Amino acid sequence: MHRADQHTQQQIADLVEACAGYWELRGIALESSKEMQLELEQHLQQAVSDGKSLEAVLGPNPAAFAEAWAREMRPRFWRGGARVLRGLVYALSIVSTTALISQLLAHAPSFTFTMFAAYLLTGSGLLALLLQFGGFLSPRVRSRAGREALVLTGAVLVVLVLRLAGMTVNWSQALLSWSWPVTIVLLTLTVGLFSLDCWCTLNRAQTSPASTSWPTLRAVTTFVASVGVFDMMMFVGSVAVFDFCRLSLRLV
Amino acid sequence: MRVDTRSTQLLKGTLDMCLLATIAQRPCYGYEMVQQLAQQGLDLVSEGSIYPLLGRLQHHGYIEGYLVVSRDGPKRKYYRLLPAGAKQLEHWQAEWEAFARAVERILKGEWSDAQSRPAHTATDR
Repeated sequence: MHRADQHTQQQIADLVEACAGYWELRGIALESSKEMQLELEQHLQQAVSDGKSLEAVLGPNPAAFAEAWAREMRPRFWRGGARVLRGLVYALSIVSTTALISQLLAHAPSFTFTMFAAYLLTGSGLLALLLQFGGFLSPRVRSRAGREALVLTGAVLVVLVLRLAGMTVNWSQALLSWSWPVTIVLLTLTVGLFSLDCWCTLNRAQTSPASTSWPTLRAVTTFVASVGVFDMMMFVGSVAVFDFCRLSLRLV
Repeated sequence: MRVDTRSTQLLKGTLDMCLLATIAQRPCYGYEMVQQLAQQGLDLVSEGSIYPLLGRLQHHGYIEGYLVVSRDGPKRKYYRLLPAGAKQLEHWQAEWEAFARAVERILKGEWSDAQSRPAHTATDR
């Protein structure tokens, strides 16, 4: 019997995290999901201690394993909505605060939501999801950096293939344009949905004895900080990223 | 490409029954079940495949899971047999015995002895 090294511990943690994320999206009740994570983690730890590989426990396809287990745990479609709601809150927060900042700073009567902003938002959301599910690659790709590099390379390759296939994008094309009152409505909607998300999270934490409560202050701080970082990326970095994208696509 | 052996296929078809029988001996947790199966010569291709089955057995009300607080580590989930599970196990055992007897008879050629009929002879066309 031997102790798992740091890399293996990280592999196990990433695998369990990927499974947990998948189960949440599939609509598994939080209480059940916590127990499943506990069982999986302990099984993997014990198997590794006995000299077995992660593949010996999960088979060649960990995502298929996660799906097979999810199917037997009576998933409910609406439960998976919690994660969708969080994504929506993030997207709305970023869009409404960016609109607010640009209208305040530029004293502009309206805000234009461009194709570039839409791609940046969608791409970031998809990338965040892919990076979390990158944990499913753990049995094959040992290091976390390697998995992240693989996911990022995959994303870049998809863009290049689309470009080579003849897809052209007018980055500065205006998709939507709105004035102050709409920005205020969007901000109110964001605050409302964020409160709903917090209420759902607290409610689930209280009804589930297996879960630990999620400190609201920490959640709000993390949320505000991440939205702020994204706003900066959208607002300050957009010109640089925009020029970089245009240049790289021209070179292809 | 991995080709499943016959024993793997047989185990896949009977794993739920084996798990139920293992839990019937005494309450145990997932890894313990895998070890007990391995001790009997039943090695699983992917050990994790027991968990979806345990979920199904639990959903049918044959077993129940419960968390046990450990002194030197985190909680561990154990499974124990329920009355409905004991009844189902009896039914599966009878079904398996009948099936195994039938296969054994065929493999030993007892079936052809009972229906002693001369073998076909090849005919020229």
